[in-house]
Amino acid sequence: MPNWFVRFRSARLVAGVFLLALGGCASLVPQTMALRDTWPEGVALRTELAEVPFFPQQDYQCGPAALATALVHSGAGATPEELVTLVYIPSRQGSLQVEMLAAARRYGRIAYPLAPRLDDLLREVAAGNPVIVLQDNGAGPIVNWHYAVVIGFDYPAGELYLRSGETKRLAIPFTVFEYTWKKSNYWAMVTLPPGRMPVTATEPGYLASIAAMERVGDAHAAIIAYSAFLDRWPDNISASVGLANGHYALRALEDAAAALRRVLARHPDSVVVLNNLAQVLSDLGRNDEALALIERAASPGENLFAGTVRETHALILQRMEKSK
Amino acid sequence: MKTALTNMICRFLAIAIMMMPFQSGQAAMIGTDQVNSAATVQVERNVVLNYLSRAQTVNELQNLGLDAQTAKDRVNAMTNDEVSSLAGKISSAPAGGDGLVVLILVVFFIWYFAFRR
Repeated sequence: MPNWFVRFRSARLVAGVFLLALGGCASLVPQTMALRDTWPEGVALRTELAEVPFFPQQDYQCGPAALATALVHSGAGATPEELVTLVYIPSRQGSLQVEMLAAARRYGRIAYPLAPRLDDLLREVAAGNPVIVLQDNGAGPIVNWHYAVVIGFDYPAGELYLRSGETKRLAIPFTVFEYTWKKSNYWAMVTLPPGRMPVTATEPGYLASIAAMERVGDAHAAIIAYSAFLDRWPDNISASVGLANGHYALRALEDAAAALRRVLARHPDSVVVLNNLAQVLSDLGRNDEALALIERAASPGENLFAGTVRETHALILQRMEKSK
Repeated sequence: MKTALTNMICRFLAIAIMMMPFQSGQAAMIGTDQVNSAATVQVERNVVLNYLSRAQTVNELQNLGLDAQTAKDRVNAMTNDEVSSLAGKISSAPAGGDGLVVLILVVFFIWYFAFRR
C-alpha cells in the first residue's frame, strides 16, 4: 500500500472523528446551539424576576417547594407544607409532573404546560412568569429528577438563574441547563391567575388548561379565564359554553344566556349552544323561546348530544304543561 | 387473569353506560368537558376506560403510601388525559425529588470554559 494513501486515510479519519465530536456537542444541546443563530424575537437578552419568592426544599420535596414558589408569585396563598399533601409521594420520594399541574388548579390557578422549546421558556420568563422545569441532574446510569424554577437569564454571560433546592439563586450555563432539562423532554409549566394568559399560549392548549381548572377550581375563576380567552379567540364554541356554564353554576342565568347568544350568532347550528340556551331560557321561565331553540337543535340524524336534547325538549314541554 | 376480569367489567360498564343518556352535572346543560371530547364517537368507551383508570390510579397512590381520601382528591384534580397517561405507570414515571446536582461531567467543565452558551 503506498504511503500517501495511508496518510490520506488517517487524515480523513481524524477529520471524521473531529466532525463527529462537533456534531455530538450540537446534538447534546440542540436548542442552545440554535439560539446562537436566532434569539427569540422581542425577548431581552437579560432579565431576572428578583421578586419571585424562595422556599428552600425540605428532604426530597423539591416539587412542593418549586410549586409554592410559582403559586405564591401568582398570588395564591400556598405553602410548601400544605403542597406536600397535594403532590408528594412518600415511597417515590418525589412528585409526578401530572400532579404538579393538577395541584396548581386546586388553588384556582391555571397550570399551563409549555411546548418543549427553550424559546418558549425564555419568552415566558421575559414576560414575568417564572417557569417550573423538570431536570435530570444525574449522569450516565444515575437518574436524579429534580424540579426547579427558572427566574431569569443573562445570555451575554451565558447563564440562567434558578430557584433550586436549597439554593436561592443558582446560576447555571445554558449548555448544562439544556443537558439536564432535555431528559424530561423539555418539560416545563407556568401557573398563572385566571385572566393572565401565558405569552406562548395556544388556543387548544390554553382551552384545555382552563377546562382542567374548571373541574376543580371555582366558577368565578373559570368565568374570568374564559372571558379572557374569548377576548383573544372570540370564535371558540367550547370557551363560550364554558363561560355560560360558569355563570349557570352561580345561577347568573341572564349572563349565561347573554354569553350563549353571542356565540349562537357566530355558530347558529351548534347543537350544544342551542340546547344549553334553551335550558337557560326555560329556567328563566321563557319556555316559548326555549321550545323554538330546542326544536332547532333536534336535527334529523343522531349526534352525540341527541339524548340530552330530547331530555331538554321533554323538560320544556312539561314545564309549559304545568304553567297552563 | 386480571386483564380478563378488567375486560369483563369493561364490557359490562360499556353496555350499561350506552343504555344511559349522557348525564351532566347540572340539569340538562351540556358540560364543557363533554364539548371538548365530543369529537370522537368513542366517548362512551372512553368514559368507562377513564373510570377504570381513575380507580386504578387511586389504588396505586394508596399503595405508594397515601391515605384513601388524599389519593382520591388528588386523582380527582387530574383531567381524563392525565389519568390515562398515569394509570399503571406511577412507579416508573419521573418523580422529581432530589435537589443535589449529583454529577457534573468533566465534559461540562470543558464546555463551561470553552463556550457557556
